[in-house]
Amino acid sequence: MPQQLAIIVLVDVGNALEMKTLEGNTYLFDNMKLHGSEGQGTGELVTAIHGSYWRDGSQASEQVLNWLPYSLGSIPPTVPRGYEAERARQTDRQALAELEAMVNKPANQGADAAAQISQLQQTLGTRVKSTRRTRGPATQKILDVTGHVISYDGAAAHSYPPPVITDIYGEAVDKKIMYPAEYGSPDMVTDGWYWSATVDSTRPGTYTYTMAIQLHRLLLQGGDWTWEPVDLTCDSKIRIMSEPKRNAFTKSGLGLLPIPPA
Amino acid sequence: MGALAAGSVRGNLYMYDTNKAGGSTGFGTEELRTRVRAGDRVLWNCLALECEAFVGIAGIEVDKSVIEPERKVYPGTDVAYWIGTVKKDDIDVVPYRIRFLVGTRTEPITTTLSPTLVG
Repeated sequence: MPQQLAIIVLVDVGNALEMKTLEGNTYLFDNMKLHGSEGQGTGELVTAIHGSYWRDGSQASEQVLNWLPYSLGSIPPTVPRGYEAERARQTDRQALAELEAMVNKPANQGADAAAQISQLQQTLGTRVKSTRRTRGPATQKILDVTGHVISYDGAAAHSYPPPVITDIYGEAVDKKIMYPAEYGSPDMVTDGWYWSATVDSTRPGTYTYTMAIQLHRLLLQGGDWTWEPVDLTCDSKIRIMSEPKRNAFTKSGLGLLPIPPA
Repeated sequence: MGALAAGSVRGNLYMYDTNKAGGSTGFGTEELRTRVRAGDRVLWNCLALECEAFVGIAGIEVDKSVIEPERKVYPGTDVAYWIGTVKKDDIDVVPYRIRFLVGTRTEPITTTLSPTLVG
């Protein structure tokens, strides 16, 4: 089985949208520091990939890379899948219950109607209209970073949908070093879609690649808030070395693979 | 995984905030300097570089006259975050320590280098 390695693409979405660039607003990580990856947590990551050889020089299986885009300062990807849609449903149900209590109250016992409606508006929050061409976010209401709906006024701080990788291309792809594609799976972290690539690790060298990344900003269109896609790009590198594969399983050391029988 | 293997977050912790435009520095290090003003709400959460590993925050030790972070959960989940409001301006430099829950370890791992809030 090929070794699977993950590359995390952490984007300061708010600042990137403000500055209209991912440069200086993207932080890349892989978990291959011990393999010689450099620039962890910066925009200048060079991912180290050991050659596809076993310790005795025989052919091993290829390397597989997976990319995981995250949004800095938003609701984390560790909440249950479909959390934003679930929050929209929960707050709708809550508002219905409040409305029911309001209309069932005897006429002379209620608080003043304006205050009650204002309370209802807060419970309901601001809905985001989805358009057919916005493929990324399934967000139905605007949430703050603590997962609560907000009545959006065009300026309040809010959570952003995670960035979406829409393509991976450039030198490493043109030279047939890696073969990226988007896959669907019951992946719990990225809502089922992720980019993955197999890497031909028989040709040592440093190769650049570019990620096309889609962010989303709130835009008022015809009286409705929508998530407007903003397409930006970000470069990174892989460095293929001729060193044999190393073990990455815990409690088995970092020796060369395969581990000899005890 | 690095933190679990070493028993320390030293060299295995990368901190960021969303106030780069406001003057925060030290991005991607264990000594993040977050620029704050009175009234700012500061929210801490953490992610493991390996999505199969667990990491959480057990506590944040900081001067309580500046900020008192408390643990809350995202509504309807058991996913926690820590949040507090900055109480005053002109705080100069306020160091703090984060205690992390990592993997199945029962003892939290505390930051060794110090992130700070700066006024």
